[in-house]
Amino acid sequence: MTSHFLILTVFAALVSTAFALLMRDEPKKQIRFGIYAFVCFVGSAFLIGWLMYPFPS
Amino acid sequence: MRAKEQTQERPATAGVPVAVSAWLVPGLGHVMLGRTRRALTFFVIVTGMFALGLYLRGELFPLDTSEPLTFLAGLAEIGVGLPFFAARLLGMGTGEVTALTYEYGYTFCIVAGLLNMLIMLDAYDIAVGRKS
Repeated sequence: MTSHFLILTVFAALVSTAFALLMRDEPKKQIRFGIYAFVCFVGSAFLIGWLMYPFPS
Repeated sequence: MRAKEQTQERPATAGVPVAVSAWLVPGLGHVMLGRTRRALTFFVIVTGMFALGLYLRGELFPLDTSEPLTFLAGLAEIGVGLPFFAARLLGMGTGEVTALTYEYGYTFCIVAGLLNMLIMLDAYDIAVGRKS
């Protein structure tokens, strides 16, 4: 398991699920919040990745 | 009015056994409160993240006060509870710094511990009546 994207996705899915269960009480709201948090995690990783693109390592 | 408040919010000490159980075994606090499904999900998430962290060659940091960041990382990992001590006893989590996934590994272990602390606080709040 050395794919950075796969690890990122697994991390985002697990943390989003925990946050959704902790911060919302109704199942529908939990699902909506979980998806929102997951998209924010993965989306921000893509955004930061693109912002860092011009800078060589 | 006072009687009503007493029935809604219980004394702070009422939540201590729940909080300690929630820390030791992820999800056990919610089991004690009758929220089995939620507890099972928390157990799978926390122990799964912790196990994945170890699989990714993460490190279980010591509580070394001379290195503040190492100390904080160790403190966060202890938040996992019994799985942390079990892993320590079994000699796991020595950390392979040269591994490609080393940083991911310890991040998973640290976040698992921090999540369990949040879950523990959630169980405590429910136990004392601050949260429904």
